[in-house]
Amino acid sequence: MTTLPMNRPLAPADNTFEDPERRAPLVLGHTTFGTVTKEICQVNEAPRPPMAWWIALGISAALAGVFTGLIGYLFATGVGVWGNQNPVMWGFPIVNFVFWVGIGHAGTLISAILFLFRQKWRTAINRFAEAMTIFAVICAGTFPGIHVGRVWLAYWLFPIPNQMEMWPQFRSPLLWDVFAVGTYFTVSLVFWYIGMIPDLATLRDRAGNRIKAIAYGFFSLGWRGSMRHWHRYERAYLLLAALATPLVLSVHSVVSFDFAVSQLPGWHTTIFPPYFVAGAIFGGFAMVVTLAVPARQLWGLKNFITMRHLENMNKIILLTGSMVGYAYAMEFFIAWYSGAMYEQFAFINRAFGQHAWAYWIMIGCNVAAPQLFWFKRFRTSIPVMFFVVNCVNVGMWFERFVIVLSLEMDFLPSSWAYFSPTWVDIWMLIGSFGLFMTLFLLFIRFLPVIAIAEVKAVMPAADPHAGHGHGADGGHGH
Amino acid sequence: MSAAHRHAVDSNSPSVRLGPIAQQVAKAAFAVAGIALAISVIIAVAGLFGTTAKGAFKSWMVAFLYVLSICLGALFFTMIQHAVRAGWSVTVRRIAESIAANLLWLWVLFLPVFILVLIDRGGVLFPWLKPEYMATDAIIQHKMAYLNKGFFLLRAVFFFAVWAGFAWFFWSSSVRQDESGDVALTHRMQRLAPLGLLAFALTLTFAAFDWAMSLEPHWFSTIFGVYFFAVSCCGFGASMCIALWFLGRRGKLLNEVTSEHMQDVGKFLFGFGIVFHAYIGFSQFMLIWYANIPEETGWYLARTLGPWKPFMWALLICHFAVPFLLLISRHAKRNRTFIAAVAVFLLVVQFLDIYLLVMPAISGADLASAVSYPALAARAASGDLDLGFHPGLIDLTCVLGALSLLVGLTARRLGQVPLVPVRDPRLPEALAFENM
Repeated sequence: MTTLPMNRPLAPADNTFEDPERRAPLVLGHTTFGTVTKEICQVNEAPRPPMAWWIALGISAALAGVFTGLIGYLFATGVGVWGNQNPVMWGFPIVNFVFWVGIGHAGTLISAILFLFRQKWRTAINRFAEAMTIFAVICAGTFPGIHVGRVWLAYWLFPIPNQMEMWPQFRSPLLWDVFAVGTYFTVSLVFWYIGMIPDLATLRDRAGNRIKAIAYGFFSLGWRGSMRHWHRYERAYLLLAALATPLVLSVHSVVSFDFAVSQLPGWHTTIFPPYFVAGAIFGGFAMVVTLAVPARQLWGLKNFITMRHLENMNKIILLTGSMVGYAYAMEFFIAWYSGAMYEQFAFINRAFGQHAWAYWIMIGCNVAAPQLFWFKRFRTSIPVMFFVVNCVNVGMWFERFVIVLSLEMDFLPSSWAYFSPTWVDIWMLIGSFGLFMTLFLLFIRFLPVIAIAEVKAVMPAADPHAGHGHGADGGHGH
Repeated sequence: MSAAHRHAVDSNSPSVRLGPIAQQVAKAAFAVAGIALAISVIIAVAGLFGTTAKGAFKSWMVAFLYVLSICLGALFFTMIQHAVRAGWSVTVRRIAESIAANLLWLWVLFLPVFILVLIDRGGVLFPWLKPEYMATDAIIQHKMAYLNKGFFLLRAVFFFAVWAGFAWFFWSSSVRQDESGDVALTHRMQRLAPLGLLAFALTLTFAAFDWAMSLEPHWFSTIFGVYFFAVSCCGFGASMCIALWFLGRRGKLLNEVTSEHMQDVGKFLFGFGIVFHAYIGFSQFMLIWYANIPEETGWYLARTLGPWKPFMWALLICHFAVPFLLLISRHAKRNRTFIAAVAVFLLVVQFLDIYLLVMPAISGADLASAVSYPALAARAASGDLDLGFHPGLIDLTCVLGALSLLVGLTARRLGQVPLVPVRDPRLPEALAFENM
């Protein structure tokens, strides 16, 4: 790569200003491609990671160990170790499943939909968010996988021809989930990997020892950066983006069908598919900000994941949070408007019944807290945004908890009960965070955490018209 | 290198001025509107072709919702461009602003319905305003806190006030910027756009509940507002494509709106008007069909039985399958003539879409007395069941009249200003815009 001199003044350090006549810079403090490569690769190439990384990995790995141990305990004992009990036959496992699948939406949204919308700021966070997607879907897939009772027959989920002529129930949305989540995971993984190939080649070329060179070399598939490579790479990327876009919508729509095709008040309502998708993006972006804030601090990535990136994500959180609030309002209004007594009971019970505390946590965290983001001062304040996004993380878990607990007081009052999780439930939830964080920390250390090639493309130096004074389409000004 | 590298547009250039075309279009459109509306009134008043008062008002409701959806889509498009600080769309935004500005007078088209309800004859259109229902139907009695004459009228006034306010704000700010070039106006529009979108979402939703969903007062669906939003996106996207094709034919905006912009307008139509619309329509239908709860299925029964069945299939094929295949290619979206042809087709299908929202109906008595689905279907097939299927000339004259009025007034409004916001600070970006 050649380095072009930048014959324009350096951008101000604050790139959150809004000037309609010029686009704010997306990469700060860099004038050449070379320093960009160096600064991003130092995350992987530093002889030893920061102490905080070791501490976080230690805690995460321990929790992941607890998770694995509890799965073993579950297999050995049976699903009775959970709090799932008549009438709440779907307890924490499904709540955790939907929670993690939701987290897994931001990555592909950023990499596919924002790509199609030509949102150039996505380049600094897409790799990061896609990795998060993969790991979140792994956590998500675990829960239904271990909830099948006889785990040794879990492969029956797949329609495998067999001599017993036994097939899965194709009319069940639970089976559609297997396909939807499976497809989403596969495509997200391929998308993530394809996007990483040029950067893996960069790490290969810079590798300090033989083992690294072979490992990165193997996965960079012989990338040499020729024009033809780039051309095919960009075509493939565009096609994958177009294929992944409907998947972002379909996965969580199918997850919402798990509930909405039923006849249970609180589950059966027509707004569920788009409402779930908005909620998933909401929760996903909150998790991206939660991880990006410490990561950019620890590894000195503030010139790439700038305040403008965080502010943009906070705007999306405000938007999707408002959509979720709209859905809550519609559900409540229509429950009243329908005149159906069971609908009304379900919603009044949600807001004022025995688990009302969970409902108000959900409203407070998902609807009230993000309203702070109407103000730029809060959107660009690290402490405030960290507070809000963690509210959202909590609130989105409770949203699924509230929905699942529609089972608690069903049509048969004699079976009404108060759902309580067991210690296994709670530790498996915590443990799944351990698994997620372990994978994520390993990713930061061993793979290019920012899409190096893509970030370079949004720098002024990449503009062929640089210096002509009309950088209209670029992520930069005159 | 010429078009892509221009930095500014001369506001007096004939390429961005409608000139005499505005008057020509307006005159022709007003003539058509006058004739069509006169025929509609004659058919309605004289009761020709067996047209009842109910039928006439329903036809008018279809026509009103049809033009309303186009204008609301335009308002949404204008506001979302400001909210996301879009650069590419500056050269097409004036068209959207001018269509949205019709919301300033669109309340006039609602007056027949408004007066009907005001003089206590609203039961003709809305069953929940029929005194006999109000007296006997427990569900309607329950809903009367919301569905009552006074609140209904008050809401209508409120909706039109909100829409007219935002439409006027974005139109007038943009036009003022043509003169002053004041960047502060852009900042103001950007600040107000998110609030406008919030108000838009809520008003559109409850307007859809009031004016379309409550025609079948027992029925309810939480997604209904979102569906009407998708309908609006389709109506506006198609209208935009046709407007740009027409202007191009007359030698207007050919350098300002290139095939790059056409592709993006096409993406909006494809993404929101076709795919998102199908997604929302499918979500609503599939969930109601699957759960099969009697409270909800009545609405779809009226639409899938007897004479309506082929039209529902037609909606699926013509609103989704065909335009999806036609517009998925970038070449299709970049071809002004081709995309305009698809847009005309979609506007016709949009009429069917709204027609299917308003017209089909099944009486509670028929539903209650049905012993089984096959028995009901057999009755419908034999024509022994009134499902509200009374197509007539008045359906077409009403929508033609309302649409022509919309076209004429939009043309006249556009004739007074440049066809692009000539001093928008992001205009250079839009002029240089290229996909990818």
